[in-house]
Amino acid sequence: MKRPAVLLAVALLLISFAVISYRVIWLKYPIFPPVRTKVWQLSMEAHVKGGERETSAMIGLPSAYRGQLIAEERIHSGTLNFNLLREGPNQIGIWSGAVSPRGEVIGYSATIQIKPPRSYKTRTPPLGLYPPNVEKKDQALARRLVANWDPLPPADRLRRIAAAMRGYWGTPPPDQDLQVWSAFRDKQGRLTAFLVLLRATGLPAQIVEGLPLAESVTDSTQTWIEVWTGQEWESLQPEKGEIYQPPVPLLPLTTNGLPVIRVINGELSEVRWTLNRGIISQWRMQFDRIMRSDRFLDRWSLFRLPEEFQRTFRILILVPIGALMICLLRNIVGFPTFGVFLPVLMALAFRNTGLAYGLGIFWGVVLIGYVVRRWIDKLRLLLVPRLSVILTLVIICITLFALAGNKLGLREFMAVGLLPFVILTMTIERFFVITEESGAREALWTAAGSAGVAVITYGILELEPLQLTFFVYPELLFAVAAAQVFLGRYTGYRLLELLRFRKFWRSS
Amino acid sequence: MILKGFRWLRNVGVLGMNRRNAEYIMRLNPRSSFPLVDDKLKTKKLAEAYQIPTPPLYRVIERHGDLARLEEMLGDHQDFVVKPARGTGGSGIVLVTGRTEGGFIKQSGEVIPTRDLAYHISDILSGIYSLEGLEDRAFLEALVRPDTVFDAVIYRGVPDIRIIVYRGVPVMSMVRLPTRVSDGKANLHRGAVGVGINMRTGATLSGVYRSGVVTHHPDTDKPLTGIQVPHWETMLLFAARAVDMINLAFLGVDLVIDRDRGPLLLELNARPGLQIQVANQAGLLRRLESVDKAPPEILARPETRVAWVLETFATPF
Repeated sequence: MKRPAVLLAVALLLISFAVISYRVIWLKYPIFPPVRTKVWQLSMEAHVKGGERETSAMIGLPSAYRGQLIAEERIHSGTLNFNLLREGPNQIGIWSGAVSPRGEVIGYSATIQIKPPRSYKTRTPPLGLYPPNVEKKDQALARRLVANWDPLPPADRLRRIAAAMRGYWGTPPPDQDLQVWSAFRDKQGRLTAFLVLLRATGLPAQIVEGLPLAESVTDSTQTWIEVWTGQEWESLQPEKGEIYQPPVPLLPLTTNGLPVIRVINGELSEVRWTLNRGIISQWRMQFDRIMRSDRFLDRWSLFRLPEEFQRTFRILILVPIGALMICLLRNIVGFPTFGVFLPVLMALAFRNTGLAYGLGIFWGVVLIGYVVRRWIDKLRLLLVPRLSVILTLVIICITLFALAGNKLGLREFMAVGLLPFVILTMTIERFFVITEESGAREALWTAAGSAGVAVITYGILELEPLQLTFFVYPELLFAVAAAQVFLGRYTGYRLLELLRFRKFWRSS
Repeated sequence: MILKGFRWLRNVGVLGMNRRNAEYIMRLNPRSSFPLVDDKLKTKKLAEAYQIPTPPLYRVIERHGDLARLEEMLGDHQDFVVKPARGTGGSGIVLVTGRTEGGFIKQSGEVIPTRDLAYHISDILSGIYSLEGLEDRAFLEALVRPDTVFDAVIYRGVPDIRIIVYRGVPVMSMVRLPTRVSDGKANLHRGAVGVGINMRTGATLSGVYRSGVVTHHPDTDKPLTGIQVPHWETMLLFAARAVDMINLAFLGVDLVIDRDRGPLLLELNARPGLQIQVANQAGLLRRLESVDKAPPEILARPETRVAWVLETFATPF
């Protein structure tokens, strides 16, 4: 008999777990959305001056390249048009249009999270051609210079070449080769010289332009070389020939030698890049990405709801946990409550009235209601009219509370209108019936149980990390349902049954 | 500590609320049978068809309009009981022991004017005492005059006998004695005393009052133990036959003993309470499990079931 229920619960758990795993592994969701994370705030501002014809400014912007997460992108384009163009790994922002004689200010800002290098996968890139304008004899020279290191693993070859560029050759090559090489290097520049040596030893490499990751305001970008050493890209400072130690303190803007800034029919002045450190919660990083993603689960994410409804759902989605608490209290502890819904609805109302006022008003209304109900009992009203009278009384009480709150300047009293009045009415009736049938003690116990669960549920609803987690992973509701099914099949004793049967425990 | 307590309860064979609901009521008692036990008039009719005696029915009142003719409808019945057909836990029941000018004498000695009794019946009809607040019927039946054997241990009102029947086998029982607190009602949660019964002999054991074990009646202070319940085997047989009437494998059968008419079936309960275990100082679960292990042929007829009980439950356990 237990089996179908257990199977259902396990299936629900599996669904929940599978969807969460999918989100974490494939869609790169944060496992704990409320956890705060370190990010960089990047902003760029520039002044565009135009010519006679339409001006285009093309600026390399950070892309979701190699696991960095870009969020909260903002564009300032003034009167110009803005387009985003993807070129391989590059993301180019194009501001275009007719620029007024006074020029135009353009801007861009974004929040960037840099992920550790092991957290993403990169495919081995193809070995490219030698840089253009390098003659065959120079290619052959480069081959001769690096030939000794061919048996070494790629990372070591890179280190040998970096050392050579700093002037340490190990076993020096023939003087004549070295002289020709020095001349070539001076003529073509260190960057090209590096690329030629790397190509000669068979290491894929690319020129990257970007910004150093440090709190700074700068008007220029940096250029460095990235070299594929079989497992990962290593970054190389071309002027000094130094290899950066991970974590690499660089933010790439363009790769493959593309310049960061290109302007057609005009010029860019006062370019200013600003980088600042920041800390935001992980879900904020997700927010933008989900809004733009066209993956099925992202399109059906709660983040896609309009803001004002999102707030409702952040609370609503936690209500089943409140119900779970009631299951626990009733079936495991054995504590009585007024139905399933009263505590949950009260907890929702407490969000507006606050806990102390909410509880006070609840007890106040129930006690006033009880006194009136006792008195009404003598009138022998029929069921439905009698409940209507109590309902009217509840509404009158609530109205009086609100008016008193207004006089006293207590907003919490005015929020009393959100108390679940239908439930309050039924509670007064149930409270009276239980008092009559089983005594005031039992009725007070039940009321205390309900208030207790309402307080616990309120505490849960107010837990912001929990709200966020459930909002990002609504499939957790399946797990909650699984717990409810499990509880539904709990046939063991209740805690209070220990008390109930304790007399007969003593005697035997 | 808690786990130790749970283990102790399991060893003694106490049936807990969760297990009662999930393993016995939900598994064995089909919902379709509930209306028959939830409505006392339907139960009454059914019992008649199976030749199980019940208190004689005087009147059924279904319409508020009938109440104007209440006096007239009562004819010359001097004492009677007013009950809601779908009432629970004894609520809405009024015992009338006599009539006076323009009114009735309640069992408490209080006089209730005819108009007030009519209001009360009108409340019953509008469903105040019924499950889920549905419209209800009221009925008047003969007032039971309890067997004198209980005279010493009742304060006022009518004691009844609750027998738990599992798969047609009576497994545990108790006498429920009204007290001053319970206002003449025989419901434990209203403050009646429950006294366990030795299943083989029909003699009373110790009792439960509120949630404690007692040996003397709280009002009369007379000993509760050792009272021989009359018609014991007849009542066991009635209880065993109740299963033939209705498809409920886990059932509470409530009987009263009228000093003239003998045992009468009062009502059936598809969700019998668990306090009976404290009254008997014995766990139900163990008895239910022993029925499950009993040879199948004894379950075939009411007589064999009763015979098996008398033989098996010789000593309290």
